[in-house]
Amino acid sequence: MAAILQVERLSKKYSDGTAALSDVSFELEPGEFAAVIGLSGAGKSTLLRCINRLVEPTGGDVSFGGVRSAKASAHEVRLLRRQMGMIFQGYNLIQRVSVLRNVLHGRLGYVGPVRGALGLFSKQDVEEAKSILKRLGLEQQTYKRADELSGGQQQRVGIARALCQRPKLILADEPIASLDPVTAKIIMDNLHRICREDGIACIVNLHQVEVAKTYATRIIGMRKGKMVFDGRPEDLTDRMISHIYGESPDKE
Amino acid sequence: MEAQWLRIRRQKRVQTVTIVVLIAALVVWSAVQTKFHVLTVFGGLGEMGKLIVNDFLPPHPEALKGLIEPALDTIYMSVVGMVVGSLISAVLAFFAAATTTPHRIVLVLVRGFASVLRNIPGLIWALMLAFAYGIGTLVGTLAIIIYSVGSLVRAYAEILEEIDQSQLEAVKATGATFPQVLGQAVLPQFIPGFVAWSLYKLELNIRASTIVGMVGGGGLGFYIQNGLKLFHFRDVSMAIILMLVLIVVTEFFTNKIREKVI
Ligand SMILES: Nc1ncnc2c1ncn2[C@@H]1O[C@H](COP(=O)(O)OP(=O)(O)O)[C@@H](O)[C@H]1O
Ligand SMILES: [Mg+2]
Repeated sequence: MAAILQVERLSKKYSDGTAALSDVSFELEPGEFAAVIGLSGAGKSTLLRCINRLVEPTGGDVSFGGVRSAKASAHEVRLLRRQMGMIFQGYNLIQRVSVLRNVLHGRLGYVGPVRGALGLFSKQDVEEAKSILKRLGLEQQTYKRADELSGGQQQRVGIARALCQRPKLILADEPIASLDPVTAKIIMDNLHRICREDGIACIVNLHQVEVAKTYATRIIGMRKGKMVFDGRPEDLTDRMISHIYGESPDKE
Repeated sequence: MEAQWLRIRRQKRVQTVTIVVLIAALVVWSAVQTKFHVLTVFGGLGEMGKLIVNDFLPPHPEALKGLIEPALDTIYMSVVGMVVGSLISAVLAFFAAATTTPHRIVLVLVRGFASVLRNIPGLIWALMLAFAYGIGTLVGTLAIIIYSVGSLVRAYAEILEEIDQSQLEAVKATGATFPQVLGQAVLPQFIPGFVAWSLYKLELNIRASTIVGMVGGGGLGFYIQNGLKLFHFRDVSMAIILMLVLIVVTEFFTNKIREKVI
């Protein structure tokens, strides 16, 4: 099968000199569920943010659906972004507006700039957003304000927002790091099930190896900005784990 | 936000007291100028008390008829000043906030401009404008707008700078354009602070329009000033009572709206 995402020698050096990402290359096939593991500061977030260009890479390239992003115009970057949903550790919902509106934000890349700015979504989009909420067991919450929801519910709204983009890829940056174990499992189950059912590829940053092994079809190990492991969960040996989680990758 | 709000409320108390004292001082001073020998007044508080009891009390209820129009003028100046002032300020604040400005230099320029407007008291603006345009509500309204813009730009810019960037980022990540991010992510976070500050400004404007009115801005302030000149002290007391009622009523309604929005 043709890869939908190709990451080629991707590098990022922040303006303060931190080399957060060095020469990372891999390909992702449709429907893959990849977990990126590594210590805090290893460059996991930077990797995801370079893929959807929330962070400007300083080297290498990403190609998605055959479109190269390094030379893409601002417009083309938006077209790439709308096909990739993103889920955040802090949920990052617009706190003061309704759950439904938060989910509809997933359509912004598809509606006109003025309609989008004014929040005038079509009936069709609203129906779709509602059915996505239903699918995630949130129909009772549809008209509540996002800040009235529990953490686990907010993260499900985060998944719904990503899903509303009808994405080919979901980037999840430590989606369960702020949740208790029971809620974390609910979130991972939902994310996993939905990606399965809809054939969406997913890259999820995790820092618990056990969780990664439970869900992922593939594991990428990061250490000090470099990719030090890329393989199936069963090939992730204890030695490799201690290498990935060895000494602190933070700057001394 | 909470602490800031408490501080504002305290500042407003102080402002109210200052203005009441100022008006009282002006009233007494005018009366003194026109009626009493300076030494007798400084002779004792008793004399001052006598002046107020004998000449200002009781207030003249018949004056109300003639007060309706000046009171409406005061409301008009305050409301128009608030609406126009807050709209201009919202646009300028966008350039004055570190998070939204197109360029650092623009930020410095807009902030400097607002600071100049803010640091020249409304009274001085009114005097200068009265010199240019003559006496009337136009002068009062303009003075209030100018003074409002000075302080609101800074307040709004601070709100914009406190906005949660991660929420903007999430909307940006969906492929939204800049105007879409503004409308869907910045605006919902901006509105509560915007409304709170604008209403607060309206309360201040009612107070300020009285002072501004005294130097030619029209409305109740001008009425008071005129009444003093013509020795219609009991009409003046009526006007002052009406002004206080106006302040209290405005505060009551703005508090109600604030509770709804925040
Ligand atoms: N905006 C930034 N500016 C400078 N350094 C950054 C920035 N963001 C992250 N870093 C640094 O880059 C490295 C990788 O960070 P990050 O990608 O967030 O790692 P992870 O998500 O694995 O914890 C860290 O050393 C971090 O301090
Ligand atoms: Mg991270």
